[in-house]
Amino acid sequence: MCAIVDANVVSEVFGTNPSEAGKRFFLWVENNVNGRLVVGGKLRKELYNSSPKFRKWAQQAQLSGNMRIENEGQINLREEELREASECVSNDPHIIALARASGARLLYSNDKKLRQDFKNLVDGGKIYSTLKTRKFSKSHKTLLAMRDLCRANT
Amino acid sequence: MKEITLTNFRCFHTEQRARLAPLTLLVGENSTGKTSLLAMIRAVWDCMRGHTLPNFKEAPFDLGSFEEIAHQQSEGSKPAFAFEINVQADQSSQAEFVFQKEGTIPVPVYIRLAENGSWIEERRDSGMKHLMRVGTHRGTWELPLDFLDKSKILPLLDRRRLISIFLLRGFPSENEEGREPIPVDESPAFSKKDFRLIDGMKLMEYAFTQDRPFASAPVRSNPRRTYDPATPTPDPEGDHIPMLLANLAIDNPGEWKNLKQGLEKFGSSAGIFDEIDVKRFAKSGSAPFQIQVRKYGRKRQKGPKRNLIDVGYGVSQVLPIVTELLLQDVSRMALLQQPEVHLHPSAQAALGSLFCEIAGQGRQLVIETHSDHLMDRVRMDVRDGKTNLKPDDVSILFFERKDLSVQIHSIRLDEEGNIIDAPQSYRRFFMEETRRSLGLF
Repeated sequence: MCAIVDANVVSEVFGTNPSEAGKRFFLWVENNVNGRLVVGGKLRKELYNSSPKFRKWAQQAQLSGNMRIENEGQINLREEELREASECVSNDPHIIALARASGARLLYSNDKKLRQDFKNLVDGGKIYSTLKTRKFSKSHKTLLAMRDLCRANT
Repeated sequence: MKEITLTNFRCFHTEQRARLAPLTLLVGENSTGKTSLLAMIRAVWDCMRGHTLPNFKEAPFDLGSFEEIAHQQSEGSKPAFAFEINVQADQSSQAEFVFQKEGTIPVPVYIRLAENGSWIEERRDSGMKHLMRVGTHRGTWELPLDFLDKSKILPLLDRRRLISIFLLRGFPSENEEGREPIPVDESPAFSKKDFRLIDGMKLMEYAFTQDRPFASAPVRSNPRRTYDPATPTPDPEGDHIPMLLANLAIDNPGEWKNLKQGLEKFGSSAGIFDEIDVKRFAKSGSAPFQIQVRKYGRKRQKGPKRNLIDVGYGVSQVLPIVTELLLQDVSRMALLQQPEVHLHPSAQAALGSLFCEIAGQGRQLVIETHSDHLMDRVRMDVRDGKTNLKPDDVSILFFERKDLSVQIHSIRLDEEGNIIDAPQSYRRFFMEETRRSLGLF
């Protein structure tokens, strides 16, 4: 699987605060063969709680293969390793752990510390963000055009 | 069967590969070849058995004559000259079939069975002449079949015929002139060991160790208020099932008890009945009878017994399928068309659990379905470990129309219940409906 959406931007993709970049990200997940979302562990609960629309969409997306739920045990194991090594500067080691467990290389987030962790701790990690612009920029387009966003064969 | 590959057959033009698992679910829009695949699985089984030609017009499948069965690319184009089927029976056994037109029907003109380096191959040339070759790791031999009646279309690979050629005519001693396998390309003389290698191929026994696949029709017969005793001749619409139940209830109480328990377990989980019984109007075997069911209340107080015709239509529609699955030998493959028709979603889901249970006992089920509820129950039962089936034991075959032909996608489940290897087009309709319902973009 290829991309992770942080709970702090879920409203841009699925909710009350849509952005052009969020919309294009959503359409990429639904329509592009490389665009698959991965969720799991604590992030899954956060997303479900923060967006009822995401919750309803996710139910169908898992059945269609557009979204994958990662094994919770694997995420917890990697999160524990991260905590023991005190590697994360953000308070979101569960997202780094999810990326490591699933092989996802793209993160959609506006959290600066998490973005830093993702770049430093996830091999080949890329950030999709709307901090600079909510419009669909050239850099957004470049990210969604990448074909190797999944390290693992998942 | 582990895998079947179709080329130039019905709506399949280029080679389409379908992974068959203990539980295989065929999904996709109408008229995308799901039933054709079921029909071909049965035809392949008939070909392996040998002594009759496969009948593509036998109920519940009617694929028509050769013109309708061979792939036709577009209006005005001719149907394909031949269609080809390959089967992976298990890890080491493959079978290959080529069908061509003979009169108006398709007949196999080439069959090859291969296993662990040994193989047997039979073909019929345009002059209706049979040619047979066999091979082992030691060499290749040709078998003259010139004594066969050329005026009749004979099915290929009739094992009894093969045995008569080799054994009954005195193999391996000096048998009748012209009957001995002729070495090809400097192969050594055919030996007893070569015969044993070929005769020992599991594929040669395939159709003899298992019953013919059970195939159900997409709609089952209407219930009747009262049934008159008759010989229960197996029928894809399940017309024979009431009589079969009545016979068991009288003649075989032990088996009836087991079957009744199984039916009631399913009926309760599906919410359609808690008890099923046969009501006879006299003790005589020739007396008319009725099939009755009963529902329990919340505190398990008994409701009235009702005739099958007086309860929901879905009950009579699913009863033949559930009965066949609970009755039959585990080795028998089942080919089911839309078993969920007329059932409420909760009963469709219960049917999914039943299929997991049956397939988990070693029986191969291939099921054409439009039921999301059935599919999702299978996915959840496998994920939650409520069945012996592992994710690899389930195959989802998605039939996708691509221009004028159809592509088959083999989709898998993983341990988390995720859908793996699905194309973007899989469940596109549902995603679009969800997006619209949620007001997303």
